[in-house]
Amino acid sequence: MKFDIKGNPSYGEVDVELGPAEVILIEPGAMSRMSSNMSSSFQRQGGFFSAMFRKMFGGENFFLGKYEHPDGGTLTFAPSIPGAVEHYNLSNNHLNIMAGSFLACTPGVNIKAKFGGLKALFSGEGAFLLEASGNGDLFFNSFGGIIEKEINGEFIVDTGHVVAFEPTLNYKISGMGNWKSTMLSGEGLVMTFNGTGKIYLQTRTVDGIASWLTPRLI
Amino acid sequence: MNIKIDTEGAFGSAIVVLEPGEKFVSEAGAMYRASPNVDIEVVSRKKEGQGFFGGIAAGLRAMMAGETYHLSSYQVGGGTGEVGLAPTHQGEVRKVEVGSETWICSGGSYLGSSGGIDLDTQYQGLVKGMFSKEGLVFVKASGQGELLVNGFGRISEVTIGNGITIDNGHLIAFTEGLEYEISKAGGGWISSMMSGEGLVMKFRGQGKILVQSHDPSRLGGVLGPLLPPRKG
Repeated sequence: MKFDIKGNPSYGEVDVELGPAEVILIEPGAMSRMSSNMSSSFQRQGGFFSAMFRKMFGGENFFLGKYEHPDGGTLTFAPSIPGAVEHYNLSNNHLNIMAGSFLACTPGVNIKAKFGGLKALFSGEGAFLLEASGNGDLFFNSFGGIIEKEINGEFIVDTGHVVAFEPTLNYKISGMGNWKSTMLSGEGLVMTFNGTGKIYLQTRTVDGIASWLTPRLI
Repeated sequence: MNIKIDTEGAFGSAIVVLEPGEKFVSEAGAMYRASPNVDIEVVSRKKEGQGFFGGIAAGLRAMMAGETYHLSSYQVGGGTGEVGLAPTHQGEVRKVEVGSETWICSGGSYLGSSGGIDLDTQYQGLVKGMFSKEGLVFVKASGQGELLVNGFGRISEVTIGNGITIDNGHLIAFTEGLEYEISKAGGGWISSMMSGEGLVMKFRGQGKILVQSHDPSRLGGVLGPLLPPRKG
């Protein structure tokens, strides 16, 4: 499979060239165009309960669109919201993705929802996150641009801006400084990461744009 | 006349430089700036010799096409003048040559065209119109000149040799001669609905298609639940 990510950071989309019998699994609705020979079906990701769990708590769909053809073909997919698309190569490692950020993967990748613990309730990302594992290509998306950061030590991120992070990183929820600066800086709670690994951040949040837009709607 | 894409990318816009005697037409409301010597006239979309009822019918068709009933027409009084054009929503603006090829724009993607281009509305047919998200009526641009279209997100041009399938909601324009049908994405109906694609447009023939990277109604689906309920 060959792929080309275009249009980042505003309108990321991915062109894919599938070889004979190669398969790509895409979030429902995200296919925007494809060669006319391609066939589509749907596939449950993982077991029934795992898929149900992912739908209920992971902000994702029970089924994924499955695209393939015996002779191969081309296909383009894009997320529902404007923003960047990022690729991550999994080879027997894990990546934690925030609920709703999953876009597509190759069949060797497993996606399951997992409870992030009580601290996740305050992360601004929902209490559950998605854990990608296995081998293959993974695509996820953000609202706004994606910043990739290699962390070694401590790193602070505003809640709502984390898209994905490697599980070698740990985080805790805290305020910025004392309670007064926490309340008045407009930052509220932050996530303090610790360890060594990669983190992906988004420059905007959908919740942010929705609350900015709300008082302006007539 | 010199039509140039002024800003590219996510917030596309165009500048049209007019010489005396030249005319440019745009969707009403698309102008964001103009030189003082530019005369703006509002014209209703009707063909010459169509008469009163013909005009009304053309207007109805234009409204159904997702386009405004009125067009703005720009001419310069003397010397050179400029008109700046921008679509309502964010996304790319693309310039297209009309001449050897006649282009058909989906509802809402027409931004403007030079005076030598004839605009006509093309009814999609009830079934296609009801099930595609592209508007009931398309805008056909024929004649000779340049056409401006806008899209939500990136615009890509695809040359079609042996067909392409486009998800409903991504079509901007296509060259005359291409045929399309509204169809399920592939496999059975259940599979098509479950894979989330539902309906797609299957194009056949030879020609070019302009497509947009993003589907506005999918953004609506994400943003809608986060916004306050609308008063009935």
